[in-house]
Amino acid sequence: MKRLRVERWTNQLLTARSGAAGGISCSAPRIRCLAAAARKSLSTAAAESSAPVIDGLDNNPRFPPLEDIPPQAATLPSPLPERALQSAKLAALHARLSLSQKIPLQTLARTLVDASADSHPRFNNTNLAFVGQTLINYHVAEQFMIQYPRLPMEILYAAIKGIAGDTSLYHIAKSWGIESAAAPGGEVDPGFLQYSLENDGDAILFFGSVRTEAKYLDKYKFRRGVSSRVVFDNDFGDRVDEFAQNIEDDEGASGDYGSAATRKRAEKAHANHVRAVVGAIYAHCGRDAVKAFVKAHVLSRKLALDKLFYFSDPTRELATLCAREDFEKPIARLLSETGRLSRTPVFVVGIYSGKDKLGEASAPSLDHARRKAAMNALKAWYLYSPGENARVPSDMLAEDAEKWEPGYIDIGEIITRGGNFRH
Amino acid sequence: MEATLSRPAASALSCCCRTTSTPRLVPGLIRHQSTKARTKRMLNIPKHESFLNPRPQTNHIIFNPPSSEASVYHTPFKFLPKNDPRRRAQLPQLFATSTTIQYPQPSENANPEELPAAFPPELGTKKYHMTKEDVEEMRRLRLEDPVTNTVTALSQKFGCTPWFVMMCVKSPREHRDQHKAREAAIKAKWGPKRTAAREERARRWAMLFRGEI
Repeated sequence: MKRLRVERWTNQLLTARSGAAGGISCSAPRIRCLAAAARKSLSTAAAESSAPVIDGLDNNPRFPPLEDIPPQAATLPSPLPERALQSAKLAALHARLSLSQKIPLQTLARTLVDASADSHPRFNNTNLAFVGQTLINYHVAEQFMIQYPRLPMEILYAAIKGIAGDTSLYHIAKSWGIESAAAPGGEVDPGFLQYSLENDGDAILFFGSVRTEAKYLDKYKFRRGVSSRVVFDNDFGDRVDEFAQNIEDDEGASGDYGSAATRKRAEKAHANHVRAVVGAIYAHCGRDAVKAFVKAHVLSRKLALDKLFYFSDPTRELATLCAREDFEKPIARLLSETGRLSRTPVFVVGIYSGKDKLGEASAPSLDHARRKAAMNALKAWYLYSPGENARVPSDMLAEDAEKWEPGYIDIGEIITRGGNFRH
Repeated sequence: MEATLSRPAASALSCCCRTTSTPRLVPGLIRHQSTKARTKRMLNIPKHESFLNPRPQTNHIIFNPPSSEASVYHTPFKFLPKNDPRRRAQLPQLFATSTTIQYPQPSENANPEELPAAFPPELGTKKYHMTKEDVEEMRRLRLEDPVTNTVTALSQKFGCTPWFVMMCVKSPREHRDQHKAREAAIKAKWGPKRTAAREERARRWAMLFRGEI
C-alpha cells in the first residue's frame, strides 16, 4: 500500500509565499499559523515573538488576518456591542431578512446572545424575546381562532405550539442560516448564536403559574384538565415548570449529537433568537412591521391540522353532535365495496344525517370504515373555516380599517375529552 | 356511447359496478371470466372522452381529476353556520350542472330513493320505557345471581341494550374476579401468533383513531 504523505498535502499553500523561510519547516502550517494569529489578537507581546509567520500569512488572500479584538474581550461573557459593526455575518443576516434600516446591527447582535450565555439582562436577548413571544403567540392564536373557530381547545393548543413552538421556531432560525458558536464568549464573532449547553439560563419567557400540587402531578398522575390548562399554563397549554423537569429527565446519555437535554437547549436558544428578532422589529419599527414579519415567516408555514386529532369513540361523538345541533341521527351507509371475500377487501362507507352526507371513508373492514367515516365527519365539523380572507381583530388597528364584523364563535366542544391528549 | 355498444362485456361490467352500491351482490349478475384474455377484454373499458384522440376542439379547460378521497376541509352543507356566505350563495345549485365537481347537496335536493342501504340495519328509535322500579329489579337480579342473570339475559328480559344494563349495575366483586381469572387462563393458552395478532389488531385500532391509516 502506498504511504500517505500528509506533509505534502498543503504544499500548494506554500508556493505563493515569497519569503516564507520561517514557516516552511512546520508540518501543518495552516494550523500553526492560525494559532499564532489568535495569539496575536490576545496579546501583542506574543505576536511580536512569532512575527515572521504572521507576516507570511498576511500576504495570503485565503487566510486574511483575524480581526483585532479588544484586549479585555476574552474575559467578557458575550461580544461587545460595538463589534457588531465589523461582523460580516450580522450584516448578511440583516440583509437576508430584509430588515429595516431602523434596526441597528447592535440590536441584531443582541438578539443572538441567549440568557444562558450572558446572564446580564442588558446584554442578552431575554427582554426582546419576551416581547417577541407575546407578539408571535398573539398573531398565531388570533389567526387560528378566526380561521378555524370550531377547533377544540386541545387541538388549538397543539396547533399554536406546532406553528410557534420551540421546534418550529428552531427550524425558522435554521432556515435563516443562523450558526451557533461552539461556546459563548467575548471573543467570538457577534454573528454567531451564543448559548450554553450546560445551563438553562434564568430567563422567564412565558406567563403562567406553577400549581400548588405541581410536585404530585407526575407522581400520582393527577388530572390536568383543559380548564386548568387555560388558567395556569402557558400559551401552548404546557406547564411553566415543564421545561426544567424535562431537562432533568433527559440529562445523561450523550451520543454524537449530544443528549436530548442539549438538543432541547439548542432548540430553545434558536427559538428565543427568532422571538427576539420579532421583539427587536417591534421596538424599532412598530406593530405593522411585526405583523408583516410574523405573517411572512411564521404564519406562512403549513400545519396539517387534520393530523392533530385523536378520537376514542367517534360514532358516539358524532351522534352527540347531531343531537345537539338538531340534525337527524347519523346513519352509516355502504356506498360501494370490492373483494368482500378476498384477503384485501375495500369498503366505502358514508355517514348520512337524513339525506345529507356528512363524511365518507374507505377501509379494509366494515367497522373500520364506519368509524373512519364518522371521524372524517367530525373533522369536517371541527375544521370549518369561514375562508382565507376572514379578518382578524388586529386588522382593526390599521388607520383606514372598515367597520368590524364579528367573527364566527362556536358554542363549544361536543365531548370534553378530559386530558386524553398527549402531545 | 358507441364504444360500449360494440363491447357487451364492458357494459356488463358497468352493470356490475352499479350493483355494488347494494350490500349484497346479486349472484346472477357476476360473470366470472374463465380465461385471462376474456378478463382482460372485459376490463378494457373505453377511456373518458377527454382522453380520446383527436382531442375535442373546444375552448374550455378539460378538468378530469383522478378519483380521490374527500377532503375534510370541505365542510358539508349541513355543517355550515346559519350566517355563512356559502349557505346564502346557494353554491350547490350553481354546481349542480357540473359533472366533475361534486358539491355536497342540501337535503331538499337529494333524492331519497337514491340513498344506499343503511349499515348496520337501522335500530328502532329509543323507547325510554325503563322505570325506576325496573332498574332496581335489574340490579337486584344481577347482584343475587350474576351467573344466571348475565348482561345479555337481562337486556333481553327488559328489552334494553346491554350497554344500559352495564350502566345500571356492576356485578359483585368476586364474580368479576372469577371472570377475569377465567379470561386470563384463556389468554395464557394463546400461542405467540394469536397473541401477536391480537396486539396488532389493537394497535391498528389506535392508529385508525389517530388518523394514521
